[in-house]
Formats: sequence, structure tokens, C-alpha cells
Amino acid sequence: MKRYDCLRAIAPHFGEELVVTNLGAVRHEWQALRPHAGNYHLQNLGLTSSLALGLALALPHRKVVAFDGDGSLLLNLGSLTTMANQHPKNLIHIVFDNECYESSRGAPTATAGLADLAVIARGAGFANVLTVKTLPEFEEGFLGALKSNDLYFILAKVEPGAGDVPPAALDSQENKYLFVRYIEKSEKVKILTSTLSRASEPHAK
Amino acid sequence: MKREVAAEIVDSLKEAGVDFAATLTEANLHDLVMAVAEDPAIHHVPVTREEEGIGICAGAYLGGRKPAIVMMNSGFLLSTNALATVCIHPGIPVLMLIGHSGGVGEENAAHATVGSLTEPVLQAMHIMYEKVGRFEDIRPTIRDSQILARSSRRPTAIVLNKQALR
Repeated sequence: MKRYDCLRAIAPHFGEELVVTNLGAVRHEWQALRPHAGNYHLQNLGLTSSLALGLALALPHRKVVAFDGDGSLLLNLGSLTTMANQHPKNLIHIVFDNECYESSRGAPTATAGLADLAVIARGAGFANVLTVKTLPEFEEGFLGALKSNDLYFILAKVEPGAGDVPPAALDSQENKYLFVRYIEKSEKVKILTSTLSRASEPHAK
Repeated sequence: MKREVAAEIVDSLKEAGVDFAATLTEANLHDLVMAVAEDPAIHHVPVTREEEGIGICAGAYLGGRKPAIVMMNSGFLLSTNALATVCIHPGIPVLMLIGHSGGVGEENAAHATVGSLTEPVLQAMHIMYEKVGRFEDIRPTIRDSQILARSSRRPTAIVLNKQALR
């Protein structure tokens, strides 16, 4: 099972769900499959789960899906305990576990050894934990989580390898503005402050 | 920290619009963290590591909340990469309340190095900050630091010294 095939299988099921992607090829794959202003591509290794948690807590009526990786989550294992204790029912935390630092030329991660992130998630307090190894299992598990109203952790064991997609033409600042403007519009909230023009004020005497 | 100082900080945060806070406690911050935890107007997320809190606050901002993080300077120093990549690079604000261990009034010799590194690292990161100790400075400084964070779309910091922390 390849990560790109997993993403391709579930992309047609996305409507207005918010997505946070991990650093690496996953952002390019997802942006090619589902170009949408509700995609936030984090340029940091480790905090994908945490950013998705903050987003899910801020917007409890919106589904939030995190596409995390094993190398990233291993940097931030404590976040599993925070997620479990906060228990946002609108968050699906997917970890594509290729057992290596693929973007850094493939040295093995701890999950190539003895570590099992699904067991760690259970120990952290997650009630809904799935390990999937085939595409039908992944799709079924994801759709179940998408329809549910509960926090899910899905560990997808994948082979290394990236999809043949063009690089996402989106830099961090542009991505932030597009995402924030989309949230402002869809949630009818104001996030970015505006600077008032003094030209409209009467001149002081 | 005295309870009345903690209460003043929480009330000032709410007046400045803060409705979400990540915290990592320490002996000096205990009363402040407990006051945040007990206030129903602020969604409280206790974190296991400060940089986790930076990620959570950034996500909360993107979702329309007004976040703050409460931590010691050791946690700020730990969070420098997270602040650079998650907040400063894309342009995401977070109001930081940083307890200054190893600053003026410090009695523990072990904290001196972290204490002396705090302001130079804030300056190196081009993070605007104010040092606060006196009770009457708390409210206006929190208000103005939050105004700057929101308008500049950058993290800002309030460094709480021992006069505030004792």
C-alpha cells in the first residue's frame, strides 16, 4: 500500500473538511488530488497533530483531518496524550507510517524497529485506534471515522514512495492567507485585523 | 505568583480578547495556570512540551480563536524552531507570557544561563517583548502586546520577572 493510493481513494469523499498536512511529499500529493482553500500545509516536522488539534478545538462543528507521518509524530509523542485528554470529536489523526525518514533519504525511524504508534496512541488514551495495511481496510476505516462523531487515530502502514505529482504551487504565506480568508468566509468570522484609513477622518484643527 | 497577580493577568487576557490558552506549569506559574484552568471564558489546553503549545495555538488562531501561551523561559527557548516555522514564517500571531527564571531577583544559581539567554534570543528572533513586574503594568502591557500580535501577525512576548512571579 502506498500513501498516494490511500489519498487518492479518500479524496472524492472530501467536501468542506479541513486538512492539515505534514512536511514532505504528502502536501504535494494532497494538493494535486484535492486543491482546496481548506488545506493547510504545515512547514514544520512534528507539530502536524498539534496544529490540527488547535484547529479542531477552535471549530468543533467542522471535521479536521491530519495527514501525519511516523517521523513527525515521533518528534511529538506527548501530543497524543494532549489530544486524547482534550478529546475533540471532530478530529481524525491519520499517520502514514513508512518506517523511514523518506524526505531525508530514507534512514529508518523507530517504527522500523520495535515501536508501534497504534499501541502508543492507545496508551495515550485514544479509544478509537485502527491499524490498516491494505487499501480497502484504509478506505473503510477512514469512511467510518468520517461518518462518526468521535476522535480517531488511524495508523496506515505504507511502503515508501511518493506519487508522481507536480510540486504544489503554494508558499506558506499564501497558504495561510487563503486558508484564513476561507475560514472567515465560511464561518462568518473576522480573523485578520484591518488598518483604518485616516483619509476618511475629518482633519484635526 | 500571588493569587491577585494571577487573577489580574487572567482578567487582562480576557479583556484583550484572549479566549484560548496553552500552558505548561512551573512552581512560579502554578497560580496563573490554575486561574486559567478555572476560567470558563478561556479554553485551556495543558501541554506536555511548550513547542506543542505553539502548534496548538497556531491551529486555534487559524480557526478564529485568540490564543495565548503561558510558559517559562526554558520552554520559550525550547520552542524557537516551532515559533520560526509555524508562526513567524507564515505570519501567525500568538501572545506569549514567559516567566523569567534566572532574571533579576533569581536566587537559584542554576537558572542564570537560561535567564541571560532569554532576551537575546527574543531579540535575535525579532520578537517584540515587554518586561513586566509591577502590578499596574500588567493590564496595559497585555492589551498592547495583544494588539501588536494581531496587527503584525507575529508572536509577541511579555516577560514576567520575579516581582510578578514571587
